[in-house]
Amino acid sequence: MAMERVPTGIAGLDEMIQGGFLPKTANLIEGAPGTGKSTLGMQFIQHGITSCDEPGLILTFEEFPQQYYRDAANFGWDFKQHEADNRLRTIMTSPEVTHADLQRISGRIETLADSIGAKRILVDSLSHFERMTADPVELRQLTFQFINGLKRMGLTAILTRENAALLGETPDSEEDLAFVVDSYTMLRYVEIQGAVHKALLVLKLRGSNHDKDIRQYAITKNGLDVRSRFEGTRGIMSGTPTMTHAQAFAAAFLGSNVDAKTK
Amino acid sequence: MTGKEDFAASLMDDMDPRLLELIQTRVNSFIKWDLVRFFHDNPHTTDTADSIARYTGRDVRTVEPELVQLAQDGVLDMEDLSGMRVYTLTQEQAVRELVANFIQACDDRQFRVKAIYHVIRSLR
Ligand SMILES: Nc1ncnc2c1ncn2[C@@H]1O[C@H](COP(=O)(O)OP(=O)(O)OP(=O)(O)O)[C@@H](O)[C@H]1O
Ligand SMILES: [Mg+2]
Repeated sequence: MAMERVPTGIAGLDEMIQGGFLPKTANLIEGAPGTGKSTLGMQFIQHGITSCDEPGLILTFEEFPQQYYRDAANFGWDFKQHEADNRLRTIMTSPEVTHADLQRISGRIETLADSIGAKRILVDSLSHFERMTADPVELRQLTFQFINGLKRMGLTAILTRENAALLGETPDSEEDLAFVVDSYTMLRYVEIQGAVHKALLVLKLRGSNHDKDIRQYAITKNGLDVRSRFEGTRGIMSGTPTMTHAQAFAAAFLGSNVDAKTK
Repeated sequence: MTGKEDFAASLMDDMDPRLLELIQTRVNSFIKWDLVRFFHDNPHTTDTADSIARYTGRDVRTVEPELVQLAQDGVLDMEDLSGMRVYTLTQEQAVRELVANFIQACDDRQFRVKAIYHVIRSLR
């Protein structure tokens, strides 16, 4: 029997992760500024509310709720109406208070989540947690407690995280946070022959198999559009003449470090 | 009666008395006005004076005493959370509605002019 899934509503991505995230899991979306992390997260919330009867929460550490209403409206998602319908709560908060609140029984966030029957949450972005402590061990502990708090509340979470690297560079799946989360998806700008594309890779999906392809995506007026496999097969001008377009794409995505490793 | 007092009297006359009372006794500074607007826009936010100062772009030393007064006046809830003093918009429905009415009324320039006048008066 197929396991229950929490679809993101982004067809190409759902296809890569066998229908969606697993329920009550923490799913990390990492990427450079402007790659569409918040958009992906909002789409997940929108899909939950309108197609799955799953109300949602947005926890934001920097933007005002109004900013999300505006950004969502840009894609035709009426978050203001969802708030009015008690199907969405957008909460601006600080990591310190959020953390303390989740540690107590029936804290404010839990009470809000219960009051609308929330099933999904977008945390935008986890990068702000790093402000709480300079000690990596303590940070890991804090993040772990935070994620467990969300799971205890029965929420399926998307957590975004900024990554300063615009292009290339090895995705560091050995890193602490990757162990704590249940899935890890990376968004990247990829430059091939002077043109910049966006591409996505699912690095980890705990408890099930997943598509290891690097897929190109675009941000359209309807949100993220993850294309089916990257389909260039034509050899391109590169240091490696035998490289297919797809290989060149992969090399550009992963950067020269990985390139060296795979040689 | 001086002209000035006439003007003041006319301002009293045509303002909703509940809003007038709110401005004269509780939202009686521009910083409080700003804070009340912030909490109206963020009805689910619970946070420290430090964070709220950051969100509203002000110095915490300015903001904190005003938060405390708003809490004493029943506009905000103030509580202790793991050693942090945190503030939230009151859960009292009547006060929330009054605040919402105030913010909505502020969309009107005429109202703002009057409200500003009253705040300045109460500052003196
Ligand atoms: N209607 C639209 N059609 C196409 N692209 C859009 C549309 N609306 C926004 N975008 C693009 O989406 C991107 C912003 O996405 P988003 O804010 O989700 O990124 P982000 O990864 O969260 O960025 P940050 O790190 O700054 O938070 C921008 O590049 C913007 O140009
Ligand atoms: Mg963002």
